[in-house]
Amino acid sequence: MMSKIKIIAATGCPTGIAHTFMAAEALSIAAKKLGVEIKVETHGQVGIENALSKEDIRQADGVIIAADKDVQAERFIGKPVVDVSVARGIREAEKLIQTIIDGKATVYKASKKQDDSSTDEEQSTSGSSIGRSIYKHLMNGVSHMLPFVVGGGVLIAISFLFGIYSADPTHESYNEFAAMLKDVGGIGFALMVPILAAYIAESIAKRPGLVVGFIGGMIAYNGGAGFLGGIVAGFLAGYIILLLGKLLQGLPKSLDGLKAIFLYPVIGIFLTGFIMTYLVNPMTAVNEAMMNFLSGFQDANPIVLGLIVGAMSAFDMGGPINKAAYVTGTALLAEGNFYFMAGVSAACITPPLVTAFAVLFFKKYFNQSERNAGLVNFILGATHITEGAIPFAAKNPIVVLPILMIASAISAILTYLFGVQVPAPHGGFLVLPVVTGAVKWLIAILAGSLVGAFLYGMAKKREANKKQEEQTIDAA
Amino acid sequence: MLTMYRKENISVNENIQTQLEAFERIAELAVSNGIADSKQAVVDGLLQREKESTTGFMEGFAIPHTKTTAVTEASVIILKTNDGIEWNSLDGSPVRFIISLLIPESEAGTTHLTLLSALSRMLIHSDVREQLMQANNATEILTVLTSVMQSN
Repeated sequence: MMSKIKIIAATGCPTGIAHTFMAAEALSIAAKKLGVEIKVETHGQVGIENALSKEDIRQADGVIIAADKDVQAERFIGKPVVDVSVARGIREAEKLIQTIIDGKATVYKASKKQDDSSTDEEQSTSGSSIGRSIYKHLMNGVSHMLPFVVGGGVLIAISFLFGIYSADPTHESYNEFAAMLKDVGGIGFALMVPILAAYIAESIAKRPGLVVGFIGGMIAYNGGAGFLGGIVAGFLAGYIILLLGKLLQGLPKSLDGLKAIFLYPVIGIFLTGFIMTYLVNPMTAVNEAMMNFLSGFQDANPIVLGLIVGAMSAFDMGGPINKAAYVTGTALLAEGNFYFMAGVSAACITPPLVTAFAVLFFKKYFNQSERNAGLVNFILGATHITEGAIPFAAKNPIVVLPILMIASAISAILTYLFGVQVPAPHGGFLVLPVVTGAVKWLIAILAGSLVGAFLYGMAKKREANKKQEEQTIDAA
Repeated sequence: MLTMYRKENISVNENIQTQLEAFERIAELAVSNGIADSKQAVVDGLLQREKESTTGFMEGFAIPHTKTTAVTEASVIILKTNDGIEWNSLDGSPVRFIISLLIPESEAGTTHLTLLSALSRMLIHSDVREQLMQANNATEILTVLTSVMQSN
């Protein structure tokens, strides 16, 4: 037998003498009649009675708010909620409960403020509500993306242990198992950007946003727009669905089913796909322009070159600008220039190491999942898998990306100053045996990573202090 | 604890035509029965509350109420009218049974407030409303109220 549907409700009216309790009673009677469990919290003249606990809220299948005053509705974020006046609570109690039973209640979203006590991942970077909700959307994308990065990245790293060319069938070190590892890991990496975009959109527009964000993210990935392109795709998809929701509001209720299964996906995918296609179009041009720009600097002095290579490599980690640096590096490698690639590799290895050292030294400013991911980044950094830093950067690109760029630039500048030569296009520290000036190279990378980790830790500390101040003010 | 319901605060066969007349009649009873010391303050309080939202309920019931310094003792005044009064009630029906809750401003104790909320809850039950509508004099109304409140 199915367990009874559990409904919670909150009623309230300005005077809190009569209607609050009439609505509560009406809802209780209706619930009994319809065979569902209900707990009604009343916000009356005497204060809150029969208060809903966190556990009540967690267990509830739906929430009815019948109030003409604030009943702390922000507690119900993420729950299906029917929000009506206290009068409708009295008059239409049965109808309200039926709405919950039929699953037709809409999921409550934050309007003003959010419950930030729920998880430590909800930490805000900004006091403003817009900043908070943008952060929340990004977080949803990043937290879903993270396992793809870790799982895919570690498998790719393991494949390198068989030799950095072990996945290439034409190479003498080819190993079938290693190739399989790299392919499987590569699928994880290929899905990273679409997943990021899909769950950013899902956070904004719930389920209808998911599919649209997924496809927008895939377009960003295929178009070489990297994770920054994925973030753009996610927000675009989410807000397009919200806009569609507004535009389709006038349609009769009977078409609700059609909306969810047909109109949202078809129109949403078309609009997002159309816009994303034209947005990623110039990515190839950006990539080529950056390569031309960079090749003009290949004989520049080590500091200028290091600065440019470092900043480019860390800017979009897999996007068009990073690729411009990397591809230029491999092209020059083919021409016998082993110096240039050394700086590119150093700059690509640094970002994950920055995050790894940051979680090691500034542990308390990171949550558990960040700590774990940070430690994995020692492996990803050591094997030149820059993408490991993306989940950290995507949470707060405006603050984290400049820090990673500074760190990578330091690593690259020192590498060029030391005259290190790296003859391999990938593999990170696995290729150390063939590196000329291996110790100097390690020192260069370590220096950049530690400076970056320090800056990142300080930024996290500032963010935490700011949050604490806000909470103190809230409490007062 | 049932002292809030007193026979002299219940009046049936009232010939009232408007909401304002009802409020004036409630205030008059309140002052003459020593529940309030200003008729005007009670009327103003009830009008004020009505402005926020209607107290007209369903099937001819209304529960005008106010919390004011003019009230000296938490009380319930009940009027039953001969004709229906326009009250902008939830179901649009004219009001014939008025249960007015008067609360002193200084009411800190929750006992009375709890009683009043219990009274409000009671009105939701259709069988209670039926019994009250069928009651023809103060004694009968008081009997219905007492039995319902005690059974809760």
